[in-house]
Amino acid sequence: MPFIRIRQTPTPEVDLQTTYDAIVVGSGAAGGMAAHVLTSHGMKVLMLEAGKKFDINSELKSMEWPYEHPRRGVMPPSSHALSLNEYTVRQPPYAVGSPFRHVYSYVQGWGGSDYSKNIVVDEKDHPYSGTNYAWVRARLLGGKTNIWGRLALRLSDYDFKAKSHDGYGEDWPISYADLAPYYDKVDLYLGISGVKENLPHLPDSLFQRPNTLAAAEVTLRNTLKKMDRVLTPYRAGVTTDGLKHNKYRSKCFGRGACGRRAGGCDIHAAFDSPTGLIYPAMDTGHLTLRTNATAREVLVDPTTGKARGVAFVDTDSGRDYEARARVVVVAASTLESARLLLLSKSTTYPNGLANSSGHVGHNFCEHVMGPGVTGLVKDRIGQPRTLDDGRPGSFYVPRFRNLKDKNPSFIRGYGFEGGAGTTIFPEHAMETPGFGAGFKKSVRDRAGAYISMGGFGEVLPRFENYIDLDPALKDRWGIPTIRFHYKFGDNEKKMCQDMANAAQEMFEAAGFEILDVNRNMLTEGWSIHELGTARMGTDPKKSVLNQFQQSHDVKNLFVVDGSSHVSASCQNPTWTIMALAWRSCDYLATEFRKGNLS
Amino acid sequence: MSDHDNELSRRDVIKLGAAATAAVSLGVGHAEAQARVGGFLTDSEFAMLDELSEMIIPTDSHSPGARAANVAAFIDSRLAEAWDEKDRSDWRAGLARVDALCQQINGAPFMKSSAEQRSAVLTRMAQNENNPKAQEEIFFKELKSRVVYAYYTSEIGIKQEMEYKGNTYQVEFAGYDVSKER
Repeated sequence: MPFIRIRQTPTPEVDLQTTYDAIVVGSGAAGGMAAHVLTSHGMKVLMLEAGKKFDINSELKSMEWPYEHPRRGVMPPSSHALSLNEYTVRQPPYAVGSPFRHVYSYVQGWGGSDYSKNIVVDEKDHPYSGTNYAWVRARLLGGKTNIWGRLALRLSDYDFKAKSHDGYGEDWPISYADLAPYYDKVDLYLGISGVKENLPHLPDSLFQRPNTLAAAEVTLRNTLKKMDRVLTPYRAGVTTDGLKHNKYRSKCFGRGACGRRAGGCDIHAAFDSPTGLIYPAMDTGHLTLRTNATAREVLVDPTTGKARGVAFVDTDSGRDYEARARVVVVAASTLESARLLLLSKSTTYPNGLANSSGHVGHNFCEHVMGPGVTGLVKDRIGQPRTLDDGRPGSFYVPRFRNLKDKNPSFIRGYGFEGGAGTTIFPEHAMETPGFGAGFKKSVRDRAGAYISMGGFGEVLPRFENYIDLDPALKDRWGIPTIRFHYKFGDNEKKMCQDMANAAQEMFEAAGFEILDVNRNMLTEGWSIHELGTARMGTDPKKSVLNQFQQSHDVKNLFVVDGSSHVSASCQNPTWTIMALAWRSCDYLATEFRKGNLS
Repeated sequence: MSDHDNELSRRDVIKLGAAATAAVSLGVGHAEAQARVGGFLTDSEFAMLDELSEMIIPTDSHSPGARAANVAAFIDSRLAEAWDEKDRSDWRAGLARVDALCQQINGAPFMKSSAEQRSAVLTRMAQNENNPKAQEEIFFKELKSRVVYAYYTSEIGIKQEMEYKGNTYQVEFAGYDVSKER
């Protein structure tokens, strides 16, 4: 039973005769933020979301016990989640020829998949081609913010000025000082939990009540201090003290539901775009929401060369519509935004919209995952049972490579996410040998005695890593799909070797018994942190957008999602996506008022 | 598009019918096969699974075991609706293999053997758990993983055996607040 009853302001019907001030394509972190900021400036906004709008609270049921569900949280047997092996041995499109009625990405293989099957897309409807890629998509109001991992980190000038630091790639057209006030706004408007560490490469946020650490995590934190490294409580994009200005979200009560399933938080303590941004924007009376609306083209006025609206397909009826606006804000996710720009070919823009540089779809980057370590904490064996998952996250180990020193084999860095302690399901039971009373006691005694962490490494942006449109393959609605041309490179491989070694070294130093060291990289895409396909820059020949995420070519077109990022950093992108979108939409609204965009 | 598919489709019903036919051809009475509503296993197969599950996770002084947690019923209902017919045929063959192994070791079928004799059979099945090769070794891995999942997601497994204290509202987060270190 959800205990926050969400009453949404009734949304007006889409008026296809009206010219809106702005159309926002997409409703995730970026689109939600654009809607919030533009409506707060009084602009009339139409939001187009390709997915559905449904009562997510009735879907999530965060507090349902496993045994209250007929399949203990698992989705119906007619549905299938792609495995690592399938992503490895096969090429996309992965659902072709599958005997299952529905095929989903790997996240549906996690526990509690029945609660997220209506959040992630069915691969049968949404095929893609090219090189191996584990592409996770959520098509519904709020997009992937309904299932995000909630690690909310800032970037620093080690990222924004990375080229100046090590010579590779491009600097961002902004510095930390430009974005810091907007990070602050995001912190205060949405809520974030964490502990100040005063690290130059991982700036602190304006934190609410901090997350806590389990006993073994404290041991590791103290060990890392001696190594001049840091373990900090998970910086969770979760309001732990509540938000007086938001009636749709409760503060976190440490129910332990966060780690149990892909699906989100039905008290909305964890940030999601609908309750954090979109419902409040609707309350201004300036936002019109159209769901089941897949944008297929940004329309252009051939005489002015400016964007004039968006053509979309109704996903239920398959009918085509056109909506008009003075400004178009694309926020469909890194890959879908690039796809939309490439789909928007016209006589004025034969290579696709905003693509005079030829960089749309290119410089595609993300985080590499895989290397990690699992350890046994011997002094936790046989201890009285503690509650260790009653908190909105576990721990984060920030980057320590290539800051003051210079690693001889790779550039940039990586961080680790990890956790220790008891969880509702004792995963170690699957690995505990034997059977009978001894097996049962061993599982019981060792509950909470494990600790593990896995790395997230910066993947370098490279022009030759890109997506384009498949010349033949189309999605269920007849729209050309994405074709991947993307592989990890030598820097990622060398970084991952170091990642595994460093993980092992830290656990050994903490006195944990090493049970497993994973040295393999997971399939491209696994981090769900796609970035960079329409990057910002000062040079229109080498970039798609300016520092305000405004197209160099088309002044009334903005692309405010992760596609604008110039490099991936190793820090998770969501908070930066929202800070950038806020800054750009402030600029957009000011320019709009001055008449500079129409 | 995604939807809720809790009802059986026509195709599922046909597949279940095929499973029932397979049960008959294996010499299992049709009436027996249908004795438990919604299940796949015959009564005798079910009794064997129930015993095997309790041997893997038995009742002890700390908490009730797999039998009390209705582990066999959960596994049986998942088998009944499994999408791949092979899941059902592998399980039927696996249980038959346990019986055959018991006959070979003890000279009697599994359910007619003593507790010690049954334990000897399970010990044999578990002997190469990390690298199973023989049919009964592969079946042990499958059996154990299903028993473990069903037991530790049951109310007995979560609340009595593991004494899980979460899934409830906490005034303060569990653990150490390191912001108070300095």
